[in-house]
Amino acid sequence: MSVWEWIRLLLGGALLLCGLLIFLIEMYGVFRLKYVLNRMHAAALGDTLGITCSMAGLMLLSGFHFSTLKMAMVVLFLWLTSPVSSHLLARLEAGTNEELGEHCEIYEELKVLEAELQEQRETSMQSETFDEEEKE
Amino acid sequence: MEKEVSLFLQAQRGLFLVILIVLGLLFFAALVRAVKGPRVADRLVAVNMIGTMVMVMIAILSLYWQEEYLLDICLIYAMASFLAVIVLSKVYIGIYEEQHSEEEKGTKPDSRKEDKGV
Repeated sequence: MSVWEWIRLLLGGALLLCGLLIFLIEMYGVFRLKYVLNRMHAAALGDTLGITCSMAGLMLLSGFHFSTLKMAMVVLFLWLTSPVSSHLLARLEAGTNEELGEHCEIYEELKVLEAELQEQRETSMQSETFDEEEKE
Repeated sequence: MEKEVSLFLQAQRGLFLVILIVLGLLFFAALVRAVKGPRVADRLVAVNMIGTMVMVMIAILSLYWQEEYLLDICLIYAMASFLAVIVLSKVYIGIYEEQHSEEEKGTKPDSRKEDKGV
């Protein structure tokens, strides 16, 4: 019986440390990237994968109680709300920054971007067919 | 048997303590980001990260002290931090729009332009 307890401790501890490692990577990314919209990418790491790993480890350590369900609820809640808050933060940044064009490309109309993408697709298709013809 | 159980508990508590200390250090790193962040969105992202880390800390403490009610606090903390980010970003969007409508009217053209953080 106690062997199983030790195995559970090891597995739970490994998952917890995995979550901690993801939090460390998140913090490294937040300090390394240069702009908010890039930093948000790193910050969303901890909200989903980091807390999932940590809570899974804690669930293993606590055993099967009613409290396990509460931990799962926390993870589920964060999965649902993290994209919403990220979206709002991105909208705040894109709406209020007047020098947004220095950091990323801005398309005034969606049609321009669609036309550009279509052009890229066609050229890649052409090059593919060209390659096939060369092989033949 | 008695001794082994206590060793198991000691190992668990040591693991929790180490993880809590590292999370505390990360908490201060996120605080540095929140103070340094050049724009408001930076600060809000840092606040969001701090919230996530505090949730993990509360969940670990509830196992460390064997107090299950701390998990309820964890759930409520998740809701409160989500609400804080939503409300703050809405408020800042509102402030920005208000300033812009004032600039268009020409009432205060230069005095508001200085705080670029908003």
